[in-house]
This record gives sequence, structure tokens and C-alpha cells, in this order.
Amino acid sequence: MVAQLILDGLVTGLLLALPALALTLTFAILHFPNFAIGAMLTLGSYAAWIANSLLGIPLAMAAVLAALAMAVVAMLCDFLVFARLRDRGSMTLLVASMGVSLILENVCRFSFGNSTRNFAIEVARPIRWHGLRINHEQLITAVTVVACVILMQMLLHASPLGRAMRAVADNPSLAAVRGVERQTVSSITWCLAGVLSALSGVLAGMDRAVDPLLGWNYQIPIFAAAILGGLGSPTGAIVGALVIGLAEELSSLVLPTNYRQIVSFAVILMLLLVRSQGLFGGKAVRK
Amino acid sequence: MTGVAPALSVRGLRSGYGNGGDIVCGIDLDQAPESILAVIGPNGSGKSTFVKTLAGLLRPRAGTVVVTGTDVSHLSPARRVASGLAYVPQEANVFGNLTIGENLKLATEFLSGRAGVGPAQRQQVMALFPEIAVRPKLLAGNLSGGQRQMLAFACALLANPEVLLLDEPSAGLSPKFVGETMEAVTRVRESGVTVLLVEQNVAAALRVADEVMVLVAGRRSLRVPARDVSSADLAALFFAKAG
Repeated sequence: MVAQLILDGLVTGLLLALPALALTLTFAILHFPNFAIGAMLTLGSYAAWIANSLLGIPLAMAAVLAALAMAVVAMLCDFLVFARLRDRGSMTLLVASMGVSLILENVCRFSFGNSTRNFAIEVARPIRWHGLRINHEQLITAVTVVACVILMQMLLHASPLGRAMRAVADNPSLAAVRGVERQTVSSITWCLAGVLSALSGVLAGMDRAVDPLLGWNYQIPIFAAAILGGLGSPTGAIVGALVIGLAEELSSLVLPTNYRQIVSFAVILMLLLVRSQGLFGGKAVRK
Repeated sequence: MTGVAPALSVRGLRSGYGNGGDIVCGIDLDQAPESILAVIGPNGSGKSTFVKTLAGLLRPRAGTVVVTGTDVSHLSPARRVASGLAYVPQEANVFGNLTIGENLKLATEFLSGRAGVGPAQRQQVMALFPEIAVRPKLLAGNLSGGQRQMLAFACALLANPEVLLLDEPSAGLSPKFVGETMEAVTRVRESGVTVLLVEQNVAAALRVADEVMVLVAGRRSLRVPARDVSSADLAALFFAKAG
């Protein structure tokens, strides 16, 4: 029982890891918490649903198309909204992201209605392994997220683009006078956030169903994961997501399952009281 | 200056913040190649604003900035670096969360079109600052103030600039490091780079500068060879009574 909960918790955490990574990237580089992350996840899941269910494209390819579409949507949001408000401070950008969130969510609602949709995938029998029940969706989630996390870590720590992103996160003015164009880095960051949120939207749609509130259901756990890891720390976001996923699943041992979101709120509350910089936030060198 | 094209030429430069008035109020300047020009002045005279405007971090309201014949006035800070104008800010002049090696790599990674950037330039710069290359995996944020200043100089020089803008390189350093930093500025000039040095530490700046420009209330109050400025003149200079 506990082992099954731990397994489910790890997979839930992995599902949260991609949007938490997207959230922490935009926070580190663009210096504001993007409240549209949930809506971007929702729109990504609808984009994949259109490709998969309406156009009959296999889900893996549909996910790639959704990721590309969301990269474009995210860059469009930057061009139309965030880039124009960049010098107005993080509070203005935060409020703007709430507006973008409402727009994206209602685009889905007006276009496809409130009813839930499902991807066209065959129902498969779960795998049994040492008494554990492992769904195919869980395996797909684990493989996709681990691959994305490895690729993101390689991008951030072993490529010129990653160095430029970390430099802009550290000191945007200095990055500019070292030859790094801030707008280019900003656009690429939005592009990556779009791709990560779309892929997590597909995984979330497989786990639950596609509906206009899909992203909203994940919004608080995503923020809790990113804050727990230390906003701005990609490694922290992944660790934070795993901890939140485990805590939510294990909470069902002592709490009714419909109260599980209390765990995320409790984690945010505890962190604000005890360690506001999160688990990895204090690692940044400031002198 | 006659007969020699200036490395840095500024005409009618005006700039300021937001909707406020001009902080830099129409500065004209021609600086000879391979010279050190010290820009000094009292607090609030617009020295840092002037150098930030030259670097492109602040948009000019009027005027032009020309580097070795190329008008860079409308270029982004990144494009200005590629045009030969490097800048070392006063504080936070290295990426503290990146290693020394990453700081050095990043200094040239996005300047592929810039002539002279490459292994030869790197070798030349590392010869100027041999202490920098010793611990490439150390986080730059863990360096002392003097070491960070050297790393910042090295990063700026890797871009093979024609003109190097330095904003108060001695700020926050102990007297020993101030001497080392000013010595490094001289070495940079000797390597063929034109240096515009904004300094609060006037005595230190005068020791290395070829010329001095005094800014008062955003305007050029005086421009003379450094050897013609004595310590006794300084108070009068700062209150714009000289010249």
C-alpha cells in the first residue's frame, strides 16, 4: 500500500516537474512568477487533443506538434504582453500573467466547451511488478519527464545558450554588455516554457482528462514545487515537484483524498514561515 | 588630436532616466587611440550615467557615439560590444553564479563576427591576468573584490575592444588592490586599447591617466592633460571654478 503510494507520488511529482521547471525558468530569467503556467498547460493539452483526436495523429506526434504550437503561443504572449511591460516591474508582469491566464483558459472554453475530452489511446492493462501496479501512462510520464529534465540540464549547463540564460538570470545588464541579446534569451525562455507546459499538458490529459480547468488543478502544486525547490533553481524545481507529489499521495494515508491539495498550501505556508528561499534558493552566490 | 582619427567620438550626448530631466547634458568628446581618459567629478555629476549611455544601457535622448568611425548610437549594448566598445560596470561586474571558466567563455561566445576574437586574443589577455586562469571551476562570486575586478577586465578584453569603458574600478577595494587595479588599467592601454576611466578616487586616476575630463552637473567643466592637474586644483575643479 505505502509502496504503491510512493510510486504514484513519484509519478505525480514527475508530472509536476515540467511545469515547475517552466515556472522557475521564467522566474529566474524574466523575474516574475508566471500565473499563466496552468492555462498554458491546458492549452497545450487541447492542442494535442486536436491533433490526436480530431486529426487522427498518433499521440506522440500530437505531443510534438502541441509543443511546437505552444512554443509559438508563448512567444506570442511575450511579444504582445510581457515584452511591452518588462520595465514596469515584476508585480505588473504578475498581474499581466493572470490576465493572459484568463484569456488562454477562456479561449479553450469558448472553442471546445466545458465537457471533458480524452485522447484517442487504447486502454492497456497495468503492469504488475512485485505487487505494484504500474500504468502505461505512468511509464510514459516517467520516461518523458526524465528525458526532458536531462535535456534541460544539458542545455542549461553545457551549452552556450544555457550559459547565456544563466547569465541573464544572474545579471541582465552585465549579460547585455557581454554580447548577449536579452530579447533573444527572453524569447527562447518563453519558447522552452511553452514546450514544457505543452508536454506536461499532454501527460496531465493522459492522467486525468482534457478540460478547461485541467491546468488550474495543477497550478497550486506547481507553485508549491517551484517555491519548495527555491524559485529560480531548475534542480530545486524538480526536487520540489517530487517532494510535493510524494507528500500529496502519502497524505491520503491520513487525509481524505479530496483534501490532498491542502498539502501544497501547507508546504507553501511552512516555507514562507521557516525557509522562504526554498531548499535550493540559498545556494546562489551573492557578494 | 589633429591628424589622428579618434577612437571614441561623442557629440551632443544627452540622457536621463524615465521622464526626469537630463542627467548628461550635451557632452562632446574626442579621445585619441591608446590613451587613458579619466572622467572625474563630484557625486551626482552624471559620470556613471554618461558611461552607461556610452555602453548602451541607457538610451541617449540626443547625440551620437562613434567608435573608430562606426556610429553605435542606435545599437543595443550587445551589438556595441561587437562593434568594439566594451564596458566593465562599477559593481556586479562578473556573473557570481557562473564559474570563472564560464565567465571567460561567455565573454566571446556571442561575438562570432568580431574580428580578432579567438585563441590568440585569449592567450594575450590571460598573459595580462595570469592569476585568473588558475582556478577555472571556482564560482566567480567567491572571488575577492580585486580578483573579481581582474576577471571583469579579462572578460571585457576578450572581446578585443577598441575602447574599454571602466566605471569606478577602484570602488570598494583596499588601497593595495586599488594600486593593482590601476596598474592593470595601464597594462590594458599598453596592449593597444583606448580606456575611458570613470573614477571617484581622483588621485589614483590621475596617476595613470593621460587626460582628465571633469564633469559637473552633467556638463564638461574641464578637459586637460593629467600632468597639468595638481591636487590643489581638485576642489576648484569639482566646483567648476577652473578652466
